[in-house]
Amino acid sequence: MKPRVLIVDDALFMRNMLRDIFTRGGFEVVGEAGDGEEAVTRFQELRPDLVTLDIVMPKVSGLQALVQIMAIDPEACIVMCSALGQEALILEAVEGGARDFIIKPFREPQVLAIAQRLCGVGA
Amino acid sequence: MDMSKYRGMFLSETKEHLATMSRLILALEKNPADAEGIDALFREAHSVKGMAASMGYQATAKLAHHLEDQLDGCRKSGSVSASLTDFLLGGLDLLEGLLEDLAADRPERDVAAFLSAATPAAPAAAAAAKKPVNPAAIRPVSRPTLPSPAPTAAAPSAPSAPTPEIALKVPEPAPPAAVVADSPEAGSGVVLRLTIELAVGVAAPAARALLILKALDRLGRRLDCEPTEAQIRQGESAHRLKLRLQTAQTPLEVERGVATMTDVARVEVIPEETREVTPIGRGESGRTVRVRTDLLDRFINLTGELITSRYMLQTAAQQASWSDLRSQLEQHNRVIADLHHHVLQVRMMPLESITGRLPRLVRDLARRTGKEVELQIVGEGVELDRAILEELADPLVHLVRNAVDHGIEKCGTVTVRAWREKDLAMVEVLDNGRGMDPETIRRKAVERGLVSEAQARGMRDRDVLMLVCKPGFSTAAAITETSGRGVGMDVVKSAVEHLGGVLEVDSGPGRGTRMLMKLPLSVAIIKILLIECAGRTLGMPVTRVLRTLEVDRNEVQSSGRQLVLRLDQEAVPLLSLSKILGLPGAPFSGSVPVVVSEVRGRRVGLAVDRLVGQREVFVKALNYPLDRHAGATGATVLGDGRVVFIIDPQHLLEERRGSRLRPAGEKA
Repeated sequence: MKPRVLIVDDALFMRNMLRDIFTRGGFEVVGEAGDGEEAVTRFQELRPDLVTLDIVMPKVSGLQALVQIMAIDPEACIVMCSALGQEALILEAVEGGARDFIIKPFREPQVLAIAQRLCGVGA
Repeated sequence: MDMSKYRGMFLSETKEHLATMSRLILALEKNPADAEGIDALFREAHSVKGMAASMGYQATAKLAHHLEDQLDGCRKSGSVSASLTDFLLGGLDLLEGLLEDLAADRPERDVAAFLSAATPAAPAAAAAAKKPVNPAAIRPVSRPTLPSPAPTAAAPSAPSAPTPEIALKVPEPAPPAAVVADSPEAGSGVVLRLTIELAVGVAAPAARALLILKALDRLGRRLDCEPTEAQIRQGESAHRLKLRLQTAQTPLEVERGVATMTDVARVEVIPEETREVTPIGRGESGRTVRVRTDLLDRFINLTGELITSRYMLQTAAQQASWSDLRSQLEQHNRVIADLHHHVLQVRMMPLESITGRLPRLVRDLARRTGKEVELQIVGEGVELDRAILEELADPLVHLVRNAVDHGIEKCGTVTVRAWREKDLAMVEVLDNGRGMDPETIRRKAVERGLVSEAQARGMRDRDVLMLVCKPGFSTAAAITETSGRGVGMDVVKSAVEHLGGVLEVDSGPGRGTRMLMKLPLSVAIIKILLIECAGRTLGMPVTRVLRTLEVDRNEVQSSGRQLVLRLDQEAVPLLSLSKILGLPGAPFSGSVPVVVSEVRGRRVGLAVDRLVGQREVFVKALNYPLDRHAGATGATVLGDGRVVFIIDPQHLLEERRGSRLRPAGEKA
């Protein structure tokens, strides 16, 4: 079974890029969300193996979404996505239970390495 | 991330993947629409890509990725075209070249030209690049799951039931990262000192450091950390972490686990107090070998038994109890034999590990020469010592190449067959081609001045065939690009003999050719027959002894100037070993002990003074100047401290037949 991924990012371009990376890497992208609110709803219904969560998003931010998702499922496997220079936010996310983080611009091998490690699969 | 310690593993694993790829491509050439084959090939390329990428070998990763893309196209179209087969083989060659570069520590060669070249399946491949990957291509890699005994190898007190104690120390495989396991066992075990350095320029080092600490908490119990978590949160530099971890995992497992974490540049794991040597990856030579964990467990058990046995021997000696000593020695012998057996097993690898490139070799040769050649490999599972396999790889290629180039005429079959015979592994290369004509060889040998006409006439066909192993001999009418049959045969012969083996050639006009290599299974520890000769004790590998017997002087006959012995209706020449070695010897009288050996496929009796018996010995190689004499292949030390030379009858007699007639005895 391919690990199931939910991609959360407000930029369609980033979502597409991540979708391609995950697809090439043998993951199944089961859903996408454009903001934190949608992310929580989609997580509820999809229960994915992995969530990539952008930190800066409209409506509900990535950090808020993280807290809400962790409340739904403390075992949720969430990887934060962030641009450089957001160290404090990342640290907060890690404290809040994020399993890892990836920095934009995304490097495919790194994204996959992290995702594969978290999902217990290898390339 | 410092990946250098994984280099050896990467090289050996990738080599295996490439061998598998070669096999799969050739199979697909025969059966282009085999979906499973295409899938398997795709997975191989994918694995190579992933490994190379994580090692930072860009060109290798790119090329593997490119091949993977092509194969994905094939998965879509359902078959591999003939032109794509060639393309894939070309790519495979390039990958092999890259691997050579990496093994030799050279920069990777350029792959741009290959990548930009038009690919036979370009349209499909381009579309395929976005296709989902087969889930089967994914296998666990990042978590250390290898269970092995903890490094505290204390002697079990009861040798009869050591398993439970050791079994308890085998850690559970690490839990998947997705599960926060807080097992109470996690804290037990040894204390390891870890130094972890983050990569330069890592984004959000504090967050990274905290993630690493969290991951370590799943491997064991953290005793302390510098800087502390609180300091990290408050902005203390977290580029270098020093901590102590109490864990049931081995240092290597922890090291591997940490090294695969994101942004880790360097990790050092040292067991506190003990100086534990980790089993893999420290090899100066870069050689690694994979060992089944049950075998490692067995080593621990046997070591425990040895220690116990030693104490029991000591006790028996203190009490001067001869019967206890004797029975304890017997027990000791059994354990050592068992240990020896298992140690050898670690070194054993199937012949398969070197036959992998043969199908490709035969295909290419056949194509170039316009022949139709089928290659059959039988007995690939036969196991030999790694050292022997390494030495055997090139001779085997030579033999197969010769068989295709010069044995097969238009179409035929080349067979590589291996089997075990007592303490020997037999590997033969057969072809059903034109065979070799002893008459032609006689003529050529005379023409080339290798033997005189009279000698040639006097030689038996069997000996004549061995002339092809003389340097520079060739029977091919036209010398081809790889040259005629015979070139390389001298190399093959000396390689086989260097390993303590024998090469036999059997052929005849229209009968095909059979090259048989009789090889020992192991190199270092062998069984020898101890013999006495002119007051000296000598050893002879038992693999070289056909039988021993004592004959009455009256049963020895003369044939011309040669003494002969009647054995199974055959007259076997009887030689005095003392004479061969240039030692003083008395004429035969009474009962003569004889060792029957084989030289160039013929039986020869060697008269000695006394047959002492068999021993299992550890053979040491001879250094200069002792190695100058071809007859002495090594030496060993007996239980009483005496040094015994090990002689090889075949070498000895060939040396004697040759121009150099220096007696071996002077050296010994």
